[in-house]
Amino acid sequence: MNDLAIIETILRNQRQFFSEIKQRVNLGQKMRAMIIASLIFFALHGAVMGSSHSVWQALSSAAKLPLLFLATLVICSPTLYFFNLLFGSDQSPTQHVVLVLTAITVTSVLLLSFSPIVLFFLLTTSHYQFFKLLNVAVFAIAGLIGVTFLIRGARLMSDPESEGTQTRRYVVYLWIVVYAFVGSQMAWALRPFVGAPGLGFELFRQLGGNFYANIFASIGEILGFLTVR
Amino acid sequence: MGIKQTQTRSHGTRLMKQLIIGLLVAIALVNIPLNRHGTTLPDTASLVVRDGLVVKEENDEGIYVYQDGQFRWISNMATFEAYGFVWGDVHIVGDGFLDRSKVGPPLSLLAKCDTSPHVYVLEGETKRWIRDIETFVAEGYRWEDVQIVPCETLRKMPDGETIPPNSGPPKQP
Repeated sequence: MNDLAIIETILRNQRQFFSEIKQRVNLGQKMRAMIIASLIFFALHGAVMGSSHSVWQALSSAAKLPLLFLATLVICSPTLYFFNLLFGSDQSPTQHVVLVLTAITVTSVLLLSFSPIVLFFLLTTSHYQFFKLLNVAVFAIAGLIGVTFLIRGARLMSDPESEGTQTRRYVVYLWIVVYAFVGSQMAWALRPFVGAPGLGFELFRQLGGNFYANIFASIGEILGFLTVR
Repeated sequence: MGIKQTQTRSHGTRLMKQLIIGLLVAIALVNIPLNRHGTTLPDTASLVVRDGLVVKEENDEGIYVYQDGQFRWISNMATFEAYGFVWGDVHIVGDGFLDRSKVGPPLSLLAKCDTSPHVYVLEGETKRWIRDIETFVAEGYRWEDVQIVPCETLRKMPDGETIPPNSGPPKQP
């Protein structure tokens, strides 16, 4: 449970946490704590989402949600590292991974904090599109705050006197856009997380369509000008 | 000051632990079949079966509405619209869902007017005369579905095929 104390330090004392990453203090321990905590938190939130359908969907989503975030991290981290390296960063790949893991961990903690709310709506509404959009909104809020931590961390960890600081800041912004695109496409590829009402359990749904068109269609159905069939 | 900060810090960790345990219990409770139907809460596929639930099997054209403990086939689009349903109300269910449920008589748009004994099935713009009570009952229609409309409205509607077909010229209201 010492891992949870490290998570609390991220939330409570960000400056100290990022300073320790900059000085490469206990990076391995921090990484381990963040991976374990985010795995648990994502799994719990995934299970809550999948519980709207069936126990199999709950188990499947509990496994897929951590996979979604960690796979996106693996795919996107090299880009951030090499671009930063190109523009004068002296940080190691481990420091980069720990920095990105911080954002992912903050996202997972916020998702955990939203889980009781999602559970409440799961028990009190049966509208699939609403439940899906509620989850998209929750992920958007948690993700935004998570990347805010990444921006803050990148700023605190970079030496303001060094060459290319401003460029590296833009690299982080651009990387966040790429991360969001990769993450949403990964989520689309790994769907379903909620499970469509009436349809049987599926581990993965066939490819086709895209995340953004589906969200637009769901909003359309809730507002009554479009039907998702 | 140091002790106070440590205490505050442990509060956050403790809350996280409690949240994890609480969610685990809630997830288990939600997924254990506890209700009288032997299904989980919410029951499988998020469907709460109650009056007004509209369903369609994935590979079947028919749309059904749940009324008084049974699913009733909505016989045509006019009925669907007249009852105020929209496509957004239709829940797609797996094939065979209705085999496990009680299916009642079809739901049609039935109408008559005050001054006439004749009952008609309304389909789109046309009215179809039902020949007699025996036919009415045999077709599975229900008296409580019959709506009273002005005679003038019914008279203005063109006649469709009688029920059953070839029952002679349709009677006018």
